[in-house]
Amino acid sequence: MPTIDMEELIEELMQCRRCGICRNAVYDDMGFDGVCPIWRNSTGFEPDFMRGKIIIALALLSGELEKTAENVKALFQCTLCGNCTEICAASFDPKEAMETVRYVLNDAPNPVRDTLAKRVIDTNTPYEEGQEIKQNWLNELDFEVPNQSDVVYFVGCTAATKLHQIPIATAKILQAANVEFAVMENEPCCGSVLLRTGRADEAEENALTVAESIKSTGAKRVVVSCAGCLKTLRKDYAEKFGIEMPEIVHIVEFAQKLIESGDLNLKPLENSTKVTYHDPCHMGRELNVYDAPRSILESIPNLELVEMHPNRAQALCCGAGGGLRSYDSELAKKIAAERVRHAETLDVSALTSACPFCELNFVSGSKKEESEIEVLDIVELLSRCL
Amino acid sequence: MDPQALDQLREIVGDEYISTRKDVLLSYSSSASTGYDSQMPAAVVRPASTQEVSEIVKVANKFKIPVIPRSGGSSLQGEVIPSPESLVIDLLRLEEIKLYKDLRSVTVGAGVTFGALDKFLKVHDLWVPVSPESALVCTVAGNVAVNGAGPGSSRYGCVGELVLGLEVVLPDGRVINTGSEANPHAPGPFLRYAFGPDLTGLFIGSLGSLGIITKVSIKTFRRMHHFYYDTYGFPDMPSVERFLIELKQNEVHPLFASIYEGRILQFFMDMLGEEYGIPKHQWPPLTVSMTLGRMRDDLLQSDIRMVKKICEEIDGHVIGISELPRGEWEDRMRVFVRSSYVHGWHWRILYHHQTPANWHKSVDAIWEIMDKHGLLGHTAGFLSGHSSYNFYPHLYFFPDDPEEEQKVRAAHKELSRLLLKSGAVPFKLSQYWTDGLAEMKPYLELIRIIKDRLDPNGIMHPEVLPIPEE
Amino acid sequence: MDASIIKQIEDIVGPEYVSTREDVLLTYSSSASMICDTAKPDVVVRPRTAEEVSKLLKLANKYRIPVTTRSGGSSLQEEVIPHSGGMIIEMMRFTDIKLFEDLRSVKVGAGITFGQLDKFLLEHDLWLPMCPESALVATVVGNVAVNGAGPGSSVYGSIAELVLGMEVVLPNGEIIQTGSEANPHAPGPFLRYAFGPDLTGLFIGSLGAFGVITSVSMKTFKRMKHFHHETYGFHSIDAAERFLLEIQEHEIHTVFASLYEDRVLDLFMSMLGDEYGIPEYEWPLRTVSMTIGRLREDELNSDIEMAKKICEDLGGYVIGITELPKGEWELKMWTFVRACYVHGWHWRTLYHHQPPSGNRKSVEKIWEVMDEYGFLGHTAGFLSGHASMNMYPHLYADPEDPEEQQKIRDGHQDLARRLFKTGAVPFKLAPYWKDILQEIPDYMDLLRMIKEVLDPNGIMNPGVLGGI
Repeated sequence: MPTIDMEELIEELMQCRRCGICRNAVYDDMGFDGVCPIWRNSTGFEPDFMRGKIIIALALLSGELEKTAENVKALFQCTLCGNCTEICAASFDPKEAMETVRYVLNDAPNPVRDTLAKRVIDTNTPYEEGQEIKQNWLNELDFEVPNQSDVVYFVGCTAATKLHQIPIATAKILQAANVEFAVMENEPCCGSVLLRTGRADEAEENALTVAESIKSTGAKRVVVSCAGCLKTLRKDYAEKFGIEMPEIVHIVEFAQKLIESGDLNLKPLENSTKVTYHDPCHMGRELNVYDAPRSILESIPNLELVEMHPNRAQALCCGAGGGLRSYDSELAKKIAAERVRHAETLDVSALTSACPFCELNFVSGSKKEESEIEVLDIVELLSRCL
Repeated sequence: MDPQALDQLREIVGDEYISTRKDVLLSYSSSASTGYDSQMPAAVVRPASTQEVSEIVKVANKFKIPVIPRSGGSSLQGEVIPSPESLVIDLLRLEEIKLYKDLRSVTVGAGVTFGALDKFLKVHDLWVPVSPESALVCTVAGNVAVNGAGPGSSRYGCVGELVLGLEVVLPDGRVINTGSEANPHAPGPFLRYAFGPDLTGLFIGSLGSLGIITKVSIKTFRRMHHFYYDTYGFPDMPSVERFLIELKQNEVHPLFASIYEGRILQFFMDMLGEEYGIPKHQWPPLTVSMTLGRMRDDLLQSDIRMVKKICEEIDGHVIGISELPRGEWEDRMRVFVRSSYVHGWHWRILYHHQTPANWHKSVDAIWEIMDKHGLLGHTAGFLSGHSSYNFYPHLYFFPDDPEEEQKVRAAHKELSRLLLKSGAVPFKLSQYWTDGLAEMKPYLELIRIIKDRLDPNGIMHPEVLPIPEE
Repeated sequence: MDASIIKQIEDIVGPEYVSTREDVLLTYSSSASMICDTAKPDVVVRPRTAEEVSKLLKLANKYRIPVTTRSGGSSLQEEVIPHSGGMIIEMMRFTDIKLFEDLRSVKVGAGITFGQLDKFLLEHDLWLPMCPESALVATVVGNVAVNGAGPGSSVYGSIAELVLGMEVVLPNGEIIQTGSEANPHAPGPFLRYAFGPDLTGLFIGSLGAFGVITSVSMKTFKRMKHFHHETYGFHSIDAAERFLLEIQEHEIHTVFASLYEDRVLDLFMSMLGDEYGIPEYEWPLRTVSMTIGRLREDELNSDIEMAKKICEDLGGYVIGITELPKGEWELKMWTFVRACYVHGWHWRTLYHHQPPSGNRKSVEKIWEVMDEYGFLGHTAGFLSGHASMNMYPHLYADPEDPEEQQKIRDGHQDLARRLFKTGAVPFKLAPYWKDILQEIPDYMDLLRMIKEVLDPNGIMNPGVLGGI
């Protein structure tokens, strides 16, 4: 992590003129229907959206506000979804600034962050289940996957630990398209959660190791399932740490190409199905990947895609990001529940996404709502058509 | 704050909707008003209903707690900065919208922004044709409380003129409805001037000092679909002023018409020219950027012809660059943040109205003040009704230069005096007008005695109006 | 009244402008309001300036003399009936008119009638586009004080919406100016909503209870020259009401639009048909008589076409009889006396507003009351703004039949109650709304508080505002 120029950071934060547009702007012409997922799903005081968070950040940085667990709460009650950045007219990126503030204030008390960081550093996964089980899904496959290849499938901690259906579907898709691919023996954690929660130094250290171990597989292309991994490996490693990586692609980007080139042929779904798609923040707003997932869904015979509004760059967050799912899981689930409720109004049978972290949170949200809607990753749908 | 008072407030809104946490209070200590001192309140409540607001005000009265109503928090002139030891009532949870199609009106809770209302009305092919440039943040009720104007005002006047009635929680906690809705049997809002005297006006521009507006009933119109954008050049101030007067006089009612000095326009072009895709142009000394809008295309064509005729009769010419007015109009709900943010400064603003014939006087005044104090800034504005023009002078300072900020504050005050002397008028009273108001003592006294009678404990936003002590 | 007080009044305005003569007092004991109680004041004063009014009010306060402000004396709902022992301040000597051409406004003294102002503005090719039907008698200030409406209101709303500010002498004698002119350096009236809160509204419809309006500043407009008069027939009430709403929705510049029941129209025709030269016609269930006006002819033609389309889309038809709306419009400054005088009766009127969709309710109620009480009358109404109609029920009585007059009074009071229940609203709080207003005690209490603080001795036209 480059050293932070405090003066510059404060100057950035002062770019906020406190207009409040980052709260709940509804601007049909630009596709906004609300902005901050936290504000909508909390008690909605000023610190619950970016304007208040910046006021508090400035006060913490100046010492006007003491760095207590309570006073830093506003900084961590944020999914860093970047919808505020999307609508903000000032010449700074509030979401980036908030991530930097978390880093600068990383000595402020936050046991949740510390636990997560310790796990990633010690066990290569933020999950308490540990790294060992990350390969278990391979046992459910009916074919062998090597450890070395031009194409390496980087599964990601969430999918590998919590949602085996995703790597299984991914593997089946790759195999169906005759793509030779490998899975790392001891796949490390990309370190996204370290970066988001202000542990950038540890993240950098981790990144160097990750880069090294990926390199050792001989991969020319790394396929990921997770939007968080995608953003971290593709963007953060280069921009924040100056690490050169092989090509990093999300499986939906990869699959779209395979479909287009005719390497992947899709059979119709058994029953005609109506689904909607949720844009993961790290894929959409961060990397502008909006069309690939939609193009895949539209190419599945017997499937109808209905859009949620807002969507794409103005889409609301699933609620899991920025460490919120660990920091305040109730709030994270509430945000997911709102999104699930929204999907329900569309009369669809499934809410799809392309990020295991979103999916995990939607499953929680769906339980909370006692919703019957199916929560799926696009690859799961795709694998049903092979 | 008295712990007993806090307990009672907690009882009213529920634990989760009251806060005395320092970080929360801090975030309510300021608003979009830059260049003002922040002040932390003692507590913040977020009531869910008019009934709760009423009960809160009763408690505030009992314990003599100053009350600061707040909604969008986007006001630029210190309107919602709390008093010491005060209670901020955040009204954003009052988000009901009720449409009365047959009455051509809509009633909105104090938490509904112009953006949210616009989306709601669009479905019915309706709109409220005036919005402030902070429309995505600003609530309708908040805008009524500050007596705002904005795009659309060139034709429809300030927001005050669209109001059909209000629901107000009086300082003693009683709830009244004004306009036709004062009749509990009325089908809804259809007339403001009912049950005269007009009590609605008393709360328009009252800044929450006479009561808390919990609902606004406002006129709706069929959404316009025929627009025309153009720019018109003029050689000097008298001709451009005449142009605006003649437009109104000949019943050409642009939705939005702004005069720009050549130098200001250049400055704007540097900031936004590319984004709006405005072609390079040697702008004349004065330019009018204008959006015409009519219900039917033939009416629009008639306006376009008329404008051209008027323009050319007074030595003007049609420039033909439509991107500027189009950008202003189409981006009207976000312009405020766009045009003010690109340069990186903070600012103080000094909204006021002039009559178009005196347009030059405000321009002269601001340049005089900027030169004298060595400050950066500018002023532009727009036609805001029958014969008024809304100016928004900006005085800039670097956010981390306290000395410059002080200069701006002093200049701001001096400018307000100068403007009053030039015949300008503020929409609503604010402390920084005080010095210039000495000649209006009986007027202010009238407000004071009404305020004292309605609010004997002086709890309603006590410092917001510059009214003399008894 | 004590002679020493009269002397002090004389010192203020000069003895020739003070009268305590019985015959004079008698002429001020009533107004155009019929079938109501009259009362003789003790003194009538005709001041010339706001300063004189100020001194008069200070004096009245000192001696607790009830004050009734009066100008044209044409009001129909007892607005200027004085109080026994009281003082009438008659404002007809306030005859200044000042035009602010560049500000598109005019400032008129309290003695200026709409007729006078219209003649003045005509020379400048300007007008005030709305006037009451009593325009030749009613002063602009008086109309503001009663919150009136009339021809022109269909586009421009009630008189209130044209006001840019006023000069008011408060009960304590302070003189204030509202609107942009509150700034003594202002070039004149150009904005009402200045120095918010809006204090102008407080005196609109205040019936002189909060102070004496000495001048009012009004918007002016370029005089309109292109008009189109037409009648539109409808076989359903629904369609007729909807038509009024839609012409507003489509921004058709209808300067005057009235909705008539067939039987009421027949009554009018029997009174005025010949005079206006209106051909015999089998009027449909509902007729809209309408004048469209525009500054530009091309706009007028567009409106005419659009109005026809809306009418026909609703199942109505263009009748083609233009004499009725033409007569209404061209004689708008005189119609009030015309329409009401021809039959020889006296009447009480009960002005109120309904939304267009409430028109039928008012019609229903007045027939109901007429049937129950057994008297003659009718109601019609005209569009009075964004989504309101000004209804003007007339209840007729033989001027020489006290029994019938009592019936009218009782029926009038009862009708007010029934109208209120239908959702109708009064422009202003005339005394006969009093018992209805008990239903809205908090609203009335706010008014009372304002009244008490402005007029602690209760001298200004006591009792008018719903009895507060």
